[in-house]
Amino acid sequence: MNVLLTHVDYIAAVAIFLVGLYILLVKQNLLKKILGLNIMETAVFAFIVTAGMTDNGVPPLLGPDAVGPFASPLPHALVLTGIVVAVSITALALALIVRVKRECGSVELNELGKVE
Amino acid sequence: MRKFLALVLIAALGAVLIAAVVNLPEPGTTDSPVHTHVSAGYIKGGHEAGGADNLVTAVLLNYRAIDTFGEVTVIFTALIAVLAATSLAGPTERSGTQNIDLKTTRVPVSPVVSFVVRLMAPFIATFALFVMLKGHELPGGGFQGGVVLGAMLILLALFSGRTDKTDDEELPPGLRNWIRAAGPLVFGALGLTGLVFSGWLFSLPDHPFWREMVMIGLELGIGIGGAAVLVGLFRALREG
Repeated sequence: MNVLLTHVDYIAAVAIFLVGLYILLVKQNLLKKILGLNIMETAVFAFIVTAGMTDNGVPPLLGPDAVGPFASPLPHALVLTGIVVAVSITALALALIVRVKRECGSVELNELGKVE
Repeated sequence: MRKFLALVLIAALGAVLIAAVVNLPEPGTTDSPVHTHVSAGYIKGGHEAGGADNLVTAVLLNYRAIDTFGEVTVIFTALIAVLAATSLAGPTERSGTQNIDLKTTRVPVSPVVSFVVRLMAPFIATFALFVMLKGHELPGGGFQGGVVLGAMLILLALFSGRTDKTDDEELPPGLRNWIRAAGPLVFGALGLTGLVFSGWLFSLPDHPFWREMVMIGLELGIGIGGAAVLVGLFRALREG
């Protein structure tokens, strides 16, 4: 039980990830599927940033009078890259949904199955 | 049935994931691998080797510059793909689908909201520029400033450019396309400059003044290009 308390940050990220995955699997609306994907991405970013934090740490800004312990800069840079890629994926998916709506008249998967 | 299967799958996956994360080092301890390998080297030598007080910016623009170059290329490519997906010839209106005339059914903009947005816009733009210019020594950077600037422009477009499609074409299309490509172009150009002057692709100059200038140039290119790409994505999706 103790280990669940000390790792509660990671477990919260897992919970958010599972919420997003449930939405992605169950919802029939394409827009909601994209929202679920975004929730999953957010959970992954939260997980990586949490791994880089330090107790009583400060941001990794080296000034003349900066004293540690510093948070790890590498996860932040990686997550920044990840966020940009996530934005690109979301935008492309939304554009494809616009296209699907224009061609088939619906964004519901169970209705799209009936379109010839 | 679908919900039940999804819940079973999620319960199984959740059990596996939680069993995995509780075996990781406790978050916040300084002796975990995320703090002891490359990050320790970045913090120790980051000011000299990375050339920026903000170590996240140093990692982005110096240690992992090729990665960041790929990043600006990705977002620019996403804009091209979105423009292609929304503007290719096709049936624009399918007969039989409901066709609401958006222009007549829109609620008119509240004058209070419109005034406040226009009042705030210069301050938001100034803040975005500050975040870009000071990104190498304070929290911030090109991408962050670009997102603030892009959000401000999208907010303005929501309130001023919605009556007529043509009246928010402030920039000539040629110039607009160059600004949208500013991120990859500036980054590539400055990377090649590094190859010419110090022999390494994407390396920064040794002289502190020129190093700072190159970093500010990179941040401005990433930020302004990123903001233009965000606005382009918004407009492509709105008009599509």
